[in-house]
Amino acid sequence: MNSDDVKSNVLTTTLESAVNWGRKNSLWPMPFGTACCGIEFMAVLAARTDISRFGAEAIRFSPRQSDLLIVAGRISIKMMPVLIRIYEQMPEPKWVMSMGACASTGGVFDTYSVIQGVDQFIPVDVYVPGCPPRPEAVVEGFMKLQDLVGKEKFSDYTLPSAK
Amino acid sequence: MPHSKIKERFPDAILEVTEFAAEPIIHVKGQHNLTVLTALKSDGYNFLADLTAIDNLTLGGYERFAVAYHLLCHASAQRLTVKAYVPEKELSLPSVESLWKTADWQEREVFDLYGIKFEGHPNLIRIMNPHDFDGYPLRKDYPRLGRKERSDFPVIKRPFKKEKRTE
Repeated sequence: MNSDDVKSNVLTTTLESAVNWGRKNSLWPMPFGTACCGIEFMAVLAARTDISRFGAEAIRFSPRQSDLLIVAGRISIKMMPVLIRIYEQMPEPKWVMSMGACASTGGVFDTYSVIQGVDQFIPVDVYVPGCPPRPEAVVEGFMKLQDLVGKEKFSDYTLPSAK
Repeated sequence: MPHSKIKERFPDAILEVTEFAAEPIIHVKGQHNLTVLTALKSDGYNFLADLTAIDNLTLGGYERFAVAYHLLCHASAQRLTVKAYVPEKELSLPSVESLWKTADWQEREVFDLYGIKFEGHPNLIRIMNPHDFDGYPLRKDYPRLGRKERSDFPVIKRPFKKEKRTE
């Protein structure tokens, strides 16, 4: 192999960047659609906005096969234990998108039975405002999340006891 | 009208027969609902369109709670409402699940949201709220924001401590 071949075929980077590049371009979403945001999320998958352009068209309905939880819709007190269980079943690394006003804050449903924002109980990375958000807004949130995934550090993924 | 002589037939059970928006309402005592409804069903009111409850706390009425049965006669297309009044001290009345199977879930819903018990119901458990839920949310004296049910969950932290990331 001569030096010209090396120039045109070899790219030097860090392992971290290469892994992050792979992760952020193949996020597999797990849709937790409980309301109209879930319907709107179907439009995100459809031809006009088409999140397969971001490598995220592999919708998994098993939390064990996905790394992005999309909470789309209001979460009632009966649904919250289910959401917590699904979040805990997802393998690391994992990210959470809170889609729409209800998942983020409870929205207009300020009643005894609706959780006033899922971020009270599970960690959320990206919030997408709207009621429901337009598909473009979800794509914007998706791109924001890709930026976050691209900045992940391996050193963050050590258990506190190992430090 | 098939129900016109109902008050004469059950003088002990029926408190009053009124009319609202051209449709009759029969007000009955809670414990006698099954007697009256059985008679109305054989008179032709064969369909239970809805079963719900009313909290008369601020409205006033014979008793605090009323269970309302909305009946429909398929032959004549006539509608009729039966209101069975239940006192706050003894919140129970006979189940009509034996007359209409549809009453099964609707009575569970009334039990879940108002705490009214239906004697003879085959499976009287909560239908919408979690089974460990405490209280009856559709009662007028139940606070709108509840009793902290919506903030009573474990907080799940990230298993890994990520550095604070900036844009």
